[in-house]
Amino acid sequence: MIELISQFLASPVMREAIAPSIFISVVAASMSVMVMAHRLSFLTVGVSHASLAGLGLATTLALPLLPTATVFAVVIALLLALMPKQKGISEDAGTGMLFAGSMALGIILISSAGNAQIDLFGLLFGNILTISPADLLWLNILGSLILIVLFLAARAWWSIAFDAVTADASGLPVSSLRLLLYGMVGLTVILCVKLAGIVLTAGLMVLPAACAWLWGRSLLSLWFLAISFSLLGTLSGLLWSYAHDWPAGASVVLALCGCFIISWGASWLKARVQ
Amino acid sequence: MSTPVAQITNLRFGPASKPVLADINLTLEAGHFLGIVGPNGAGKTTLLNLIAGLTQADEGYVDLFGKRLSHFNRHSLLKHIGFLHQLHDHELRLPMRVSNVVAMGLNDYAMPWKRAQHSDKIIQALNLVEMDELADSDFRHLSGGQRQRVRIARALVRKPLLLLLDEPSAALDSVRQERLFQLLRRLCDETGMSVIMVEHDIAAISSHVDSVACLNRNIHHHAMRGEEIPEDVWRAMYGDHIHIIAHDAHCIGCAPSEHNND
Repeated sequence: MIELISQFLASPVMREAIAPSIFISVVAASMSVMVMAHRLSFLTVGVSHASLAGLGLATTLALPLLPTATVFAVVIALLLALMPKQKGISEDAGTGMLFAGSMALGIILISSAGNAQIDLFGLLFGNILTISPADLLWLNILGSLILIVLFLAARAWWSIAFDAVTADASGLPVSSLRLLLYGMVGLTVILCVKLAGIVLTAGLMVLPAACAWLWGRSLLSLWFLAISFSLLGTLSGLLWSYAHDWPAGASVVLALCGCFIISWGASWLKARVQ
Repeated sequence: MSTPVAQITNLRFGPASKPVLADINLTLEAGHFLGIVGPNGAGKTTLLNLIAGLTQADEGYVDLFGKRLSHFNRHSLLKHIGFLHQLHDHELRLPMRVSNVVAMGLNDYAMPWKRAQHSDKIIQALNLVEMDELADSDFRHLSGGQRQRVRIARALVRKPLLLLLDEPSAALDSVRQERLFQLLRRLCDETGMSVIMVEHDIAAISSHVDSVACLNRNIHHHAMRGEEIPEDVWRAMYGDHIHIIAHDAHCIGCAPSEHNND
């Protein structure tokens, strides 16, 4: 095991992937607490799949991939935030429609572009091992922005998740803060797509908080636990990927699922003992 | 005469042909404890929401602390208001300590750059509702009555000038109800805080409040302490099938009548 870890750390490909993976996992885990609190798991699935249309647009119009996908994801997330206000359309139905429509548009745009350079497997399932310097810069800018906004708005978001009516009556601008949250979820999705891909992004944005939820007793403890579980899942997933030559994103998500099962089992045992 | 804490003028909510509330006029001075009673669907909760700026009136206006409540100033005016509503379906999903729940009532809770210690204020508020010993407990594991007392502490922690309570005694036993009404009476007298409280049971609140407004779309009557509520007002609110029973001499509204023995 020690030999495997030293080989893993000595590998130039893995050495380059570890730092961005850790950064992505910290940002995703931090936002995952708010995703859980506001029940936005399906939104993350919807936005990540919808980002395929953004990537398709970027391919067709020869625009930079990540920035275009970022703008598209934020627009989709904000549309979803505003949609429940329209009568008769629930949030999950709206997410389902935009998710399917955008994905269909993305597939048609990408297939029409006929660009053999596009790594479709990487887009769908992530490929952190081939991160370019331009991607890295974009991820650092996005991640830092998300962490700053999260630091400033976390308590307000938490307060709204706990009791939106009282938060509104306390003088918090609930509608604006909700829009900001959806926008940040959109940005985080794009951040995660590089590591876990369009299909598996929801895993990074739900599983860390789901593990932490069984143990945390406050916002701070949840945040700390979610980051710890996320780092454990990411590093063991990358190690697993290196050892068996498995796709990195899928390995990370599978490791996080393992963390959740262990966490849930331990929590169940603790409850039985007490 | 000092500026009223709240003044409601010609308020209407809902379509003019079939309003939920209409012709509502009320003035609330500092230290006044107002009870609002009325049947289900009378518009009691809607009235509280209008005063708290959560809903926009279709006609008329609300003045709070001498300023007209509008979309632009509501956030600053609401900082002086404590609010307790009836819907608490979502809050049990989040892991929270009791003290954290109360902290949410502080005006600067959402501002991480203001890291001032407020533990004294939180403990004081919990002490008012006799929940200070459970400050570190998990909010989700409390009983319904205990949770309601924590919510009341959350509304009180900011030391509001106006407290809006929508059936605060709903989850409380009769002893706790009585203690709550006594506490509100004391805070009105000692701090000058004003209270508007929606309740179903006029008998439970009548010996504590300064006045009772009888609401069913309109305010049918606004009875001050010691004043009798005419029987036709009760019938206008609840219909003809009610029996009116007098409690004691301090009870607002309950005067002995020929129906006492019903």
